[in-house]
Amino acid sequence: MKTVIKTTNLEKVYNSSVAPVKAVNQVNLEFKEGEFTAIVGPSGSGKTTFLNLIGGLDKPTRGNVIIDDTDISSMKESQLFDFRLKHIGFVFQAYNLIPVLTAVENVSFVMLLQNRPKEEMEKRAKEMLEQVGLSDKINVRPNKLSGGQQQRVAVARALASKPDFVLADEPTANLDTESAFNLLDIMSKLNKEENITLIFSTHDQRVIDRARRVITLVDGAVSKDEYFDK
Amino acid sequence: MQTLIKISWRNIWRNPTRSIVIIIAIVLGLMGGVFSAGMRLGVETQQFEETVENQISHIQIHHPRFIANPESHYRIEGGAQMAKKIHQMPGVAQVAHRTVFDGMIATANMNTGVRIKGIDPVKEALTTHLDDLMVDGTYFEDNGRLPSVIMGHKLAEELRADLGSRVVLTFQDISGEMVSASFRVEGLYSVTSLRFEERTIFVKANELNQLIGDKTAVTEIAVVLENLDQYREATDELKKLYPHAEVRNWADMAPSLYYSMEFLHQNLAWVVGIIILGVSFGLLNTILMSVLERVNELGVLMAIGMKKIRVFSMVVLETTLLSIVGGAVGLILSYTMVMLLNIRGIDMSGAGGEGMADFGYASHIYLKVPPALYYEIGILVIGFAVLAAIYPAWKAIRLQPAEAVRQE
Repeated sequence: MKTVIKTTNLEKVYNSSVAPVKAVNQVNLEFKEGEFTAIVGPSGSGKTTFLNLIGGLDKPTRGNVIIDDTDISSMKESQLFDFRLKHIGFVFQAYNLIPVLTAVENVSFVMLLQNRPKEEMEKRAKEMLEQVGLSDKINVRPNKLSGGQQQRVAVARALASKPDFVLADEPTANLDTESAFNLLDIMSKLNKEENITLIFSTHDQRVIDRARRVITLVDGAVSKDEYFDK
Repeated sequence: MQTLIKISWRNIWRNPTRSIVIIIAIVLGLMGGVFSAGMRLGVETQQFEETVENQISHIQIHHPRFIANPESHYRIEGGAQMAKKIHQMPGVAQVAHRTVFDGMIATANMNTGVRIKGIDPVKEALTTHLDDLMVDGTYFEDNGRLPSVIMGHKLAEELRADLGSRVVLTFQDISGEMVSASFRVEGLYSVTSLRFEERTIFVKANELNQLIGDKTAVTEIAVVLENLDQYREATDELKKLYPHAEVRNWADMAPSLYYSMEFLHQNLAWVVGIIILGVSFGLLNTILMSVLERVNELGVLMAIGMKKIRVFSMVVLETTLLSIVGGAVGLILSYTMVMLLNIRGIDMSGAGGEGMADFGYASHIYLKVPPALYYEIGILVIGFAVLAAIYPAWKAIRLQPAEAVRQE
């Protein structure tokens, strides 16, 4: 299988007033196409920082992040904007939909930034909303949707542009059990059907149980990297 | 761009109360600016029309010593011919020649010093529109036994003279001898300047000239130009043509009016500018608040790949759209305000308007707002709004997506 992401000697150091803190410490990992990976670990273990580094939202202090043979750690900020737009999908803990746009407009938004043709955008956005079970909420704004529904729209938005991989930062943290299972079912299905690489940071056991690969971070370093046959 | 406009527009209405408050601020600021400008321009125009158009004209020509000694002795040699020639010059609309000097007017009750102006009624009507200023009686239509005099309403009150009253004018003839003659009050005129009204009387020039002993006497030539903007050039040309005469334009004759107009034009820009600047700070505050409330959302937009230039444009667009709405409503309401206030004019008598007349100001002010001023103010509002948006927009693009998405 093709390697989508590769990190080599990845480090992120924050300078605090007391002493420098290594949020990510010497991480060497590879993520293959179509993997469903959960990054787990206690609070402060560096999960979010690691996701930010591989998502091009933050720059490493040392080491490299190579995505599709491109080293993004040396990219300029403006190049990173383009790179994220073309290659990465994001799902955030707090849904983070654009409140003034309807569900279908939110899902189309990334494709709009990519300057895709209008008809293609609308077709794909409606298709994605149907896949996440929200075809009846196309023209509804986020404030009229439940938390679970908003997160499903966020998933549809992240996947609509067919990115190389999707990073989800604790996507189920704010959801009740039923909504969380529903979301995970949808993501698992899309992972299999569209062969999209999914990387979650989580300490939600429900997510961990669905993942085929679980990487445990402790103090910024990889302490375990396990594969499960699911 | 269309989507950016759509998002910006919807963002404005996320907090309708706040947006409406800032729109009201823009509207009131604009109305204040238009009112202030209109009031000042109105006063200026009224004063200019009163002083220059109705009294002194654009250019006057005299004997060099006449200004210090306004007597019939200081006449313009060949004045009537000179007036004819000037009238034929390009750019000259009207010319009137007069016999002007100081004298005394007396009734049975009292007497006072006045400036006597001997005029050609037809030419004077074309030059200073004296006939339009009549408030009582007729304008040199009476061919009675006694010659006619037209005097100011205020002077008639002081002399306790009525229409038809007999008055005696006393003045020097060309040889310096005192001459007295009876006149009948035919009409009363009124102007804003009470000083002019109580000090200036008009009689027919031919009748006056007969009394002073020179049938062709001219002591003053008044010139009205087709284009007022050319007054400096026209003055210079007349000075060259008539080096022995005293040629003065309206700015020389009414320097206080000239300087007040010059000052006004600069002052007006400042007043309007300061009002709009004040509104812009309100706008800046509103947009900044709206940006700070959306840190998380802006972070997400940048995280998913919305370029900084687009985020910047979105914030600037929000401000621009707000200013366009506020500006359009403000200009429409300002226009309506000007129309309504100008139906009757603004009565300043309660604020000392009667006393203002002593200084040539009207007691009723009519706002004057040239159409160009509306466009200029509209453009200024939008321009300042865009400038006011730069700081909040800059704050927005300085956000770090990774940190911003985690903020509540």
